[in-house]
Amino acid sequence: MTRDEIFAKVIEIVRPFVKNEDALVAVTDDTNILEDLKVNSSRLVDIILNFEDEFDIEVEDEDADAVNTVGDAVALIEEKLS
Amino acid sequence: MTWLPFRTRAAHAFQREAGRLAALFLVLPIAFILRVLMRYHIRDVSRVRTRYRALVKESDCPILICPNHLTMMDSAVIALALGGSWWYLFHYSRIPWNLPEYNNFASQWPTRIGAWLTKCIPVIRGGRREDVSRVIKRVQYLLSRGDTALIFPEAGRSRSGRVEADSVGHAVGRILTSVPGCRPLCVYLRGDRQRTWSTIPARGDSFYIDFQVVEPQSEHSGMRRSRDFSKQIIERLVCMEEEYFAGR
Repeated sequence: MTRDEIFAKVIEIVRPFVKNEDALVAVTDDTNILEDLKVNSSRLVDIILNFEDEFDIEVEDEDADAVNTVGDAVALIEEKLS
Repeated sequence: MTWLPFRTRAAHAFQREAGRLAALFLVLPIAFILRVLMRYHIRDVSRVRTRYRALVKESDCPILICPNHLTMMDSAVIALALGGSWWYLFHYSRIPWNLPEYNNFASQWPTRIGAWLTKCIPVIRGGRREDVSRVIKRVQYLLSRGDTALIFPEAGRSRSGRVEADSVGHAVGRILTSVPGCRPLCVYLRGDRQRTWSTIPARGDSFYIDFQVVEPQSEHSGMRRSRDFSKQIIERLVCMEEEYFAGR
């Protein structure tokens, strides 16, 4: 799976939880999931569990702590898939 | 036991001992403010305290208090209701560590010092994941030493005035799954005049309080297990709220 494919899937998974839809239009690696996309912090766990299901990976709490931006999420998934 | 850097452990030890000393001068005045100046009344308080003290006596297990959240005074009222001011003077470790919102309690020096002396670890809710995680690890460490902590599963005051199951955070489950033997204690507290959320309860309000020990279960591991635990805690609070309104 290419990085672009992972990025696209990440956006699809995050989309239902996003409150600031405008920020999704110009989303980049640096887009902060909580601050820019206005995802409720308590929903971040659901997003990461959806990553686990979609990419068939297992994410530990410590790994999840490093996920602040869309790029962090993509990098984590890339690392788990490699 | 959760690993923490020496510096953080030393800081906790210092905060604990400074708080122990300050408790001699703070616990009774705080109780005086709540009971006399604010005229708060907790119904059946002696029954609640008897039950809580029996629970503490039953085992040395750490206790994680998980209450509903409607006002900024909840943690103080709950602590007073469960233990009682005199009891805490002799059971200092049972004064719960509390995680107040940084912007409410620790953004200015006077309140920051007060929070520090009363076993508070301020946290920025919805802040950077690493920072929130650092605070969670500190609570895990304190609980694994046998201390008591208090965390609001809803991670903020309920705007609707009812337990908001959808806003349950991950922290409670994460702590419970990582501290062996930790007992979650669901606490439901509500003033009779409390309609929705507020800064403080109305002066002269009379409080209902009840608590239940929960034994969360999950067939999963990792984050799913933590999430299951958090959900079971908040679901119990929802049930306790239903019991409260059914009994009115």
